[in-house]
Amino acid sequence: MRSDRKLIQKRSQLTAQAKTAASVLGKRMAYPKSHNPFADDDEEETTASRSRGGFNFDDDPAESRMTEAERRQRHLQQEVMRTAQSAVDSSNRSLGLIYESEKVGTETAEELMRQGEALKRTERMVDNMEQDMRTSQRHINSIKSVWGGLVNYFKAKPEPAKPPQRDQPTGYQANSKLQDALSESKQQEDRYEASHPNLRKLDTSGFGASAASNDTPSNQNGYSKNRHLQAAHEKLDDNLDEMCSGLSRLKNLGLGLQSEIDDQDVSLDSLLNKVDNMDGRISSTNRQLKKL
Amino acid sequence: MDNSGKEKEAMALMAEAEKKVKSSQSFFGSLFGGSSKQEEACDMYARAANMFKMAKNWSAAGNAFSQAALLHLQMQSKHDAATNFIDAGNAFKKADPQEAINCLNRAIEIYTDMGRFTIAAKHHITIAEVYETELVDIDKAIAHYEQAADYYKGEESTSSANKCLLKVATYAAQLEKYQKAIEIYEQVGTNAMDSPLLKYSAKDYFFKAALCHFCVDMLNAKLALQKYEDMFPAFSDSRECKLLKKLLDASEEQNIDAYTDAVKEYDTISRLDQWLTTMLLRIKKTIQEDESDLR
Repeated sequence: MRSDRKLIQKRSQLTAQAKTAASVLGKRMAYPKSHNPFADDDEEETTASRSRGGFNFDDDPAESRMTEAERRQRHLQQEVMRTAQSAVDSSNRSLGLIYESEKVGTETAEELMRQGEALKRTERMVDNMEQDMRTSQRHINSIKSVWGGLVNYFKAKPEPAKPPQRDQPTGYQANSKLQDALSESKQQEDRYEASHPNLRKLDTSGFGASAASNDTPSNQNGYSKNRHLQAAHEKLDDNLDEMCSGLSRLKNLGLGLQSEIDDQDVSLDSLLNKVDNMDGRISSTNRQLKKL
Repeated sequence: MDNSGKEKEAMALMAEAEKKVKSSQSFFGSLFGGSSKQEEACDMYARAANMFKMAKNWSAAGNAFSQAALLHLQMQSKHDAATNFIDAGNAFKKADPQEAINCLNRAIEIYTDMGRFTIAAKHHITIAEVYETELVDIDKAIAHYEQAADYYKGEESTSSANKCLLKVATYAAQLEKYQKAIEIYEQVGTNAMDSPLLKYSAKDYFFKAALCHFCVDMLNAKLALQKYEDMFPAFSDSRECKLLKKLLDASEEQNIDAYTDAVKEYDTISRLDQWLTTMLLRIKKTIQEDESDLR
């Protein structure tokens, strides 16, 4: 949840940046307007006349000011494009990292499953060993003395202990509880996203920037650049969405791994106890055999 | 200095052990506790082998371990024999791979005789790895991996079995035995779909299966993709599925550039590994051939 919130914050930061860049761009566009309302029309004319190769009405200073403004404008546009492009690149990189971690997580999950199976096998074997040890203990008792043999006769036969049906089902149960909790949290997340003011602003702001720039009466270049900008923003949004879903998948994976590890912890502890008991029994049996 | 001293000691021990064995086989030796002499000889062989290991004389160590194992077999202690064969195999791995495989095979025979299939499977995997790396005989490696997977399945260890099967599938696809690879990937993928932990890797298996279908025939790939999407809805959201759709479109239109672009785009986010690159190149070649045929 926190990571998603951070993502949303980053998204809003980026869009705020883009907005300021766009507004600066707008101001620059307004610069000739505010100072010289007629120069605006002249600007259009001059651009048109320049393209036609006709004569200018403008004074030189106005012309140079305009070109200076134009230059600054172009410079700022390039800046905006560059920022947007670098944002897209970095989001691509983070997306790649997320997928890599997912891959590592899945491999870990598979390894954990294998380990879990090996642990269960070991426990079964230790149970078998215990059974065998009990039988051998009875045999030793009968060998040691006649009295021991009689005692054996009256002692209950050690029943083959039913191997505790290894709790695959309860393991699944725990995980499905996990699944329910997770799906609930996901629903909460969606609701949160829908209500978040920043995200709503995002839709309008993206278009707002392009709308503002559409108003400007200007160079063809400026218009297409803004289309590129819009495309870059869209790509950024897509990447961020993918990052969101990737991160939530990672979270689920991590939680699943945690529950599996907890289960294995429990079985490891019980295995440890059994093996310790086994150890003691084997050494006592050895001692008895030596005495025989 | 220390090592050469150890080697001399080891050689001396070997000679002593051999003498013991010979003496135990003579008439009087067998009368007067021949078996304990054989046990002592075994111990000496083992000690000698350990000293050879310290001196890094791997083939001599392997020899010593095999001798010990043979003695154990004579004394009917199969467990010890098998353990010694395994030690011999490990020592030979560093010196003479073929000899190592022989020792490991003998150990596997003993284990399967005793019914210890899990350990036998583990050693099949070791042999297969030797075939993969040192002797580079992919067919035999596949055979051993398959045998290991069968044993694991018999012992109900499905995840270990799956690990071996996946290796079989990777090599089978490389050797163009696509049908086998497809079967394995589909089977493992369907199993993985249900498990809460493994479902994250299920999309990977379906992707590989679809690629193998693609190498055979484009129509197969389309049908297979459809089938997988129905079985496993989460697959449709994955980037792998989107890449497959783009590749299918590109090959329908016989458009190599679209194909390369799609692959490049996927590569920028997650690197393509060796196997994937080989398969994609093969598919690309089939598209190129179709194109030249049309021309």
